[in-house]
Amino acid sequence: MNKKSKPSTHTLPASQLQKIIDLLYDQGYTVIGPQRRDNAIIYDEITSTDALPAGWIDVQEGGTYQLQRRDDDAWFGYAVGPHSWKQFLFPAKKKLFTIERETFRAQAEPADKTRYAFLGVRSCELHAIAIQDKVFRDGPYADPAYSRLRNNAFFIAVNCTEPAATCFCSSMNTGPGAESGYDLLLTELISSDQHEFLISSGSAKGRALLGTMELPEATPAARERSQELLTRAAEKMHRRMDTEKARKLLLANPEHPHWQELGTRCLNCANCTMVCPTCFCSTVEDVTNLTGDTAERWRRWDSCFTMGHSYIHGGHIRSSGAARYRQWLTHKLATWVDQFGVSGCVGCGRCITWCPVAIDVTEEITKFEPVTRDTAA
Amino acid sequence: MKTSDAPKNSTIKVDYLARVEGEGSLYVKIKKGQVTDARLKIFEPPRFFEAFLRGRTWKEPPDITARICGICPVAYQMSSCHAIEDAFGVKISPEIRELRRLLYCGEWIESHVLHVYMLHAPDFLGYQDVIALSKDHPEAAQRGLRMKKIGNDIVTLLGGREIHPINVRVGGFYKIPAKKRFAELLENLKWARDAAVETVRWAATLPMPDFEQDYTFVALRHAEEYGMNEGRLVSNKGLDIDIHQYNHTFFEKHVAHSNALQSVMEDGSNYFVGPLARFNLNFDRLSPLAREIAREVGYEPPVTNPFRSIVVRSIETLYAFDEAIRIIEADVFPEQAAVEVRPRAGTGYGCTEAPRGILFHRYKFDERGTILDAQIVPPTSQNQSTIERDLRNFVPRNLDLSDEELTWKCEQAIRNYDPCISCATHFLKLDIERES
Amino acid sequence: MAEIKKPKLAVWKFASCDGCQLSLLDCEDELLAVADSVQIANFPEASREIIKGPYDISLVEGSITTPHDAERIHRIRRQSKLLITIGACATAGGIQALRNFTSVDSYVTTVYATPAYISTLKKSTPISEHVPVDFELRGCPVNKYQLLEVINAYLNGRKPNTPPHSVCMECKSKGLVCVAVAQKTVCMGPLTHAGCGALCPEYNRGCFGCYGPKETPNTASLAAWWREHGEKNTDIMRSFRGFNAYAEPFRKESEAHENI
Repeated sequence: MNKKSKPSTHTLPASQLQKIIDLLYDQGYTVIGPQRRDNAIIYDEITSTDALPAGWIDVQEGGTYQLQRRDDDAWFGYAVGPHSWKQFLFPAKKKLFTIERETFRAQAEPADKTRYAFLGVRSCELHAIAIQDKVFRDGPYADPAYSRLRNNAFFIAVNCTEPAATCFCSSMNTGPGAESGYDLLLTELISSDQHEFLISSGSAKGRALLGTMELPEATPAARERSQELLTRAAEKMHRRMDTEKARKLLLANPEHPHWQELGTRCLNCANCTMVCPTCFCSTVEDVTNLTGDTAERWRRWDSCFTMGHSYIHGGHIRSSGAARYRQWLTHKLATWVDQFGVSGCVGCGRCITWCPVAIDVTEEITKFEPVTRDTAA
Repeated sequence: MKTSDAPKNSTIKVDYLARVEGEGSLYVKIKKGQVTDARLKIFEPPRFFEAFLRGRTWKEPPDITARICGICPVAYQMSSCHAIEDAFGVKISPEIRELRRLLYCGEWIESHVLHVYMLHAPDFLGYQDVIALSKDHPEAAQRGLRMKKIGNDIVTLLGGREIHPINVRVGGFYKIPAKKRFAELLENLKWARDAAVETVRWAATLPMPDFEQDYTFVALRHAEEYGMNEGRLVSNKGLDIDIHQYNHTFFEKHVAHSNALQSVMEDGSNYFVGPLARFNLNFDRLSPLAREIAREVGYEPPVTNPFRSIVVRSIETLYAFDEAIRIIEADVFPEQAAVEVRPRAGTGYGCTEAPRGILFHRYKFDERGTILDAQIVPPTSQNQSTIERDLRNFVPRNLDLSDEELTWKCEQAIRNYDPCISCATHFLKLDIERES
Repeated sequence: MAEIKKPKLAVWKFASCDGCQLSLLDCEDELLAVADSVQIANFPEASREIIKGPYDISLVEGSITTPHDAERIHRIRRQSKLLITIGACATAGGIQALRNFTSVDSYVTTVYATPAYISTLKKSTPISEHVPVDFELRGCPVNKYQLLEVINAYLNGRKPNTPPHSVCMECKSKGLVCVAVAQKTVCMGPLTHAGCGALCPEYNRGCFGCYGPKETPNTASLAAWWREHGEKNTDIMRSFRGFNAYAEPFRKESEAHENI
């Protein structure tokens, strides 16, 4: 979608971000952005920059998440919220169709024509959406509801300059700077006397919108500052994942004793899969009205951590917690690559933060290192 | 079916009383036209709440004691919170106090409307249940269901769910719902207030058996408000005590035919708690609208016929809608969902007006806030002895009725009290024995 | 339609608070429709009219706590094609099962002045310990929509949608923020059976396990985590010893934290 020349970068005073929100609403978008609620930074509809979580940072570690005040009033001075954008493009619960007993004809649910504009999308999250695109839009079994919502959406990415301790996107090559998949890209620059953004477009939609703004070209100093922030952000990340090695280790060690150890710790509560921006499993439930004249089919999120997920006629394939954890991790980091040509992990760290007992995938993967298939139990 | 030539000696037995909450039975023995025995048997198995509360922490009684009763869990939550706050010297904010009152209004509404329309009205109109009633009186049934739902909506908003709400804690609430969600209730509440006026007028047209009695009514009385969460314990016979004096005035006795303890006054006499008591003692504290509609249908204290309680319950329902609207329109919400609570050793007392009458809780704590001792006196156990007296007085006047009719009337007389047997032990069964 | 016989529904009560059967009366919008779909044959809380069995569906509320009730449940089973237990009492013994961890005699003397009048069993036990149960609906109280779903599913010959996974899945699906992670609140959600819609986290408090253990709960792991984070054994024991104290996974975990 881009020309060979680097798209031009402009400077957007913080006060002007509201104008972008207003323009998006004028174009019929519903803007979803970060805001502080229930002790976390969540994504919900936003009409004013006043609702942004100014001056808050999310301090994350295994099994803990805490908001703290920042020294500055940065609007995007946090890493990632508890829920990803998946909740909008692939909603947790969705009616698929209604069917009448009389005619036995299924009536599909009317398409959701909402046009979302997502404000504050991180690079890791763009990568996650690209992965879900492979599953829901670009594969042989396209999901029309996802495809429509996704194709209608407008993405305003914000470069991540404040990774959390649980982040490891730099080792996954999925961040902290966004490289594609956005319509507009922002980098927040804040100092004691200045609050502005670098802004550039990544699509025709983005260019068109930016074209109406008449913004000054960014100064080299500002560009340099932006680059510096991204470099520093990458350096801040201590957690790492070697994707190629992880894949080899997992494929080589299906019977490794460490799975049992993980089975004793894992609660099989499914939190990791719920918060994972790429996990895409769902199940369907059929409901009837009392008289049985009409029935509906609903789709809802499922997880490989439930017994029902591996139930086939006669029983559950993965009845132990260890087997379910193995399924999740092996799929996410190894067989996903075989299936979709890319790892199922984007390094956002949510599964680490939101695991109630702090199981850390970056650490667990190292436990498979010393033992190979030959010595496994 | 037997008619008026029924023998003068007989036993009325209802093994499993219907349209009451919980399991009880009724046994009346008639000898030569005289009632020789009248028992409200409560055989519902005991659940020993007071015993297993020992050793639990101060945070737990609101959730645990709610499980005594699925119909009035809020009452248990309110009395337990007040008792614990009393023990620890905790003062809640006026805003939290108002929201507790709002929650309680929700419970009064759902409980009263359930009783008026679904449990009691079928007796007056000769139906087995509200479903049969709804075939002939669809409008009334629909009105009742909708009113009940609106009461439940209050409890659900503020409590999380209608049965065993989860949002009540010692010191206040876990979370105050968004303001706009309260405002969203208003439209329905205003419809329901009109429906409650209709309900009072409708209930007042129901055929009332003639049965005036002399009672000792006991209720909470508050300086400004219709007694609900706070007040002094007063009676129409001169009682006026602080709730801390409860155990000096009211005593529990254990009778062989009941798994519920019965409460009596110091001199062994019985007393009457609930809507009739509150109405008679606090008429001047009702809202102007509730008073006006009560007068319109000819209800002013003293109302001493327990069958009329269906009308009084309807008046209280009207009051509760009116009060809920007042609280929401006042638009004052707490900044803090709860005040800080620090446990200390001591004993605390709480007494609030459950839909069926005063509910008393007492807890004794050690310095860490562990429960050493608990006492819970629900309204039905306080009314039990009065219910039995009513039966002894009611049956002799109605001996010309067939066994079938007399049994039904006795059941109705029991249902006047909206007895909650789950609370009292936590059923009812009627035995009429006529003997020569 | 009139010639088709409606299935007969009965509601039975054992030791309980009445709340679960009240859930049916709390279905204000659906009650009359339910009454059109089934014949309410035995539901004393709602009706004086008792129609003799056998019954197509029996909903059983409450736990078995007396010798009489231990007999009665067999009579009910014999008259019931389908027996569904509703709520924590019928499914796990309820809060009154706390007696199972101590001597019930001491309980009787604590509460009643004349213990000789009281007839009670040493333990409060779920219905499934006495008779075969066709379906168990969880919750203290049950969720009224789940109760309707179970009746509806039976009427239409399908499986009820009452998934046995964790409360966490409901919590995350609703977009709530985890109170355990974000507020360090003790929350039993990861161990607890779904059905409530993650109410407590929605109201800013930790789940306290009203719906009992989920499928394959890993109680030991979460208890160890709490222990590491400063919870006392007595508090951990109390957490498991609530409305579903006698459900096996919770019972065992509470016993593991007793007297240490």
